[in-house]
Amino acid sequence: MVIAKNVSKAFGEHVVLKDISMNVKQGEVVVIIGASGSGKTTFIRLINGLETVTSGEIFVNNVEITHSKTNLHHIRKGVGMVFQHFNLFNHLTTLQNISIGPIKVLKMKKAEAHQRAFKLLDRVGLRDKADAYPDELSGGQQQRVAIARALAMNPIVMLFDEPTSALDPEMVGEVLAVMKDLAKSQMTMLVVTHEMGFAREVGHRVIFMDDGLIVEQGPPIEMFSNPREKRTQDFLSKIL
Amino acid sequence: MDFYGIIRDSMPELIYGAKLTLYYSLATIFLATVVGLFFALCKLSNSRIFRKVGETYVHIFRGLPLIVEIFYVYFAMPMILPLHHWFDPYFTPVAGIIALTLNEGAYITEIIRAGILSIQRGQTEAALSIGMNTFQTMRYIILPQAFKRMIPPLVNQFIQTIKDTSLLSVISINELTRQGQIIISTTFSSLQIWTAVAVIYLAMILSLTALSGYLERKFQIARR
Ligand SMILES: Nc1ncnc2c1ncn2[C@@H]1O[C@H](COP(=O)(O)OP(=O)(O)OP(=O)(O)O)[C@@H](O)[C@H]1O
Ligand SMILES: [Mg+2]
Repeated sequence: MVIAKNVSKAFGEHVVLKDISMNVKQGEVVVIIGASGSGKTTFIRLINGLETVTSGEIFVNNVEITHSKTNLHHIRKGVGMVFQHFNLFNHLTTLQNISIGPIKVLKMKKAEAHQRAFKLLDRVGLRDKADAYPDELSGGQQQRVAIARALAMNPIVMLFDEPTSALDPEMVGEVLAVMKDLAKSQMTMLVVTHEMGFAREVGHRVIFMDDGLIVEQGPPIEMFSNPREKRTQDFLSKIL
Repeated sequence: MDFYGIIRDSMPELIYGAKLTLYYSLATIFLATVVGLFFALCKLSNSRIFRKVGETYVHIFRGLPLIVEIFYVYFAMPMILPLHHWFDPYFTPVAGIIALTLNEGAYITEIIRAGILSIQRGQTEAALSIGMNTFQTMRYIILPQAFKRMIPPLVNQFIQTIKDTSLLSVISINELTRQGQIIISTTFSSLQIWTAVAVIYLAMILSLTALSGYLERKFQIARR
């Protein structure tokens, strides 16, 4: 579903990702962990073309997105992205935030798009907030709307960049609940998070990144109880 | 004749001038906004050439006195291009509007550019992430939010535009200021006529201010 081959990324002189290769299978939930500055965000952003690779290839659903001829706008319809800071459209209501993609990008009829949006609002438990603007919602609610907005495009894979790290602790649970529900519905997910409970419960694989490299990866239980690499051990001892 | 008598007798001419001032202002405001939007997008473009075009435009037309621009379009341009034939018999109003539009457009370019830049990068990224193209992102996400922030400086510029139309008197466009001069040349009643002219300008500008207050409140209530 997502394949990265020898991907490197540098900002000027600063090499942020070094020869990363990995793949995510359909229906797989992959959790990426790693220290601040290790390149997690950059890697996730490469997958929907918000950043461009310095070298290497990335395929999404068998289309090489790193190819210069690929229409990124078209590819992004199928790749949902959830940001650390939600990035809801501030001038639009919840309903409009969710339906604008289907209406403007997928050219769906307004009524149909609203119907889809209401279904998603039910799914994230926010039907009663359909007419609220983002600044009238709590952080947790905003992030759930942001997930619904991405889902409204019927993506084949969902990317999450630390979706709960900007939230007050009491709101983390509601967002994780939505994400777990999504994982159980066979959605292909690539999630940067330090929520180990989430990784244990629904993650199929955990990838530990450090200094632009994939240091170690494996099933969550093994990674957390028996990390082989010293760097992984050090990192886990700090956050567990 | 009494103080108000002269004003009353000159009213038809003054109103004629006020109407022209209004028409020139509205035409310029509309065209300069279109021009400003175009060059603002040029300046924000990824293409170096477009950016240079936008920058050069602003540098030139913000960098010259408006009256020089008016003289240039009206007297100098016809030496290079037969504009006066193309637009005959409307060359004078067309030249006036072109000069005003290019000048005000340079300021509006900067207002719109600043407005667009004030919207956080995350909004653009979110729009791209749901598959919007650059045009859709601007049209549906960035400009609606930026517009609200542009209202106060834009209104400022529109007020400036109304006042700047008075310079069209130098190419014999009979807008309010020139009408005043013409009336005075036969009645010699400077005090009355300039007072009347001043009051009419103020009335126009204060109505525009009121409209902007209304717009700002309206957008404030919608808050976005
Ligand atoms: N646009 C950019 N220009 C220059 N350097 C950048 C840019 N984006 C990221 N970097 C650098 O790349 C490195 C990796 O950043 P990245 O955001 O991918 O890390 P991260 O693992 O997501 O960290 P965090 O846990 O803090 O979010 C950092 O050193 C950062 O300063
Ligand atoms: Mg990050």
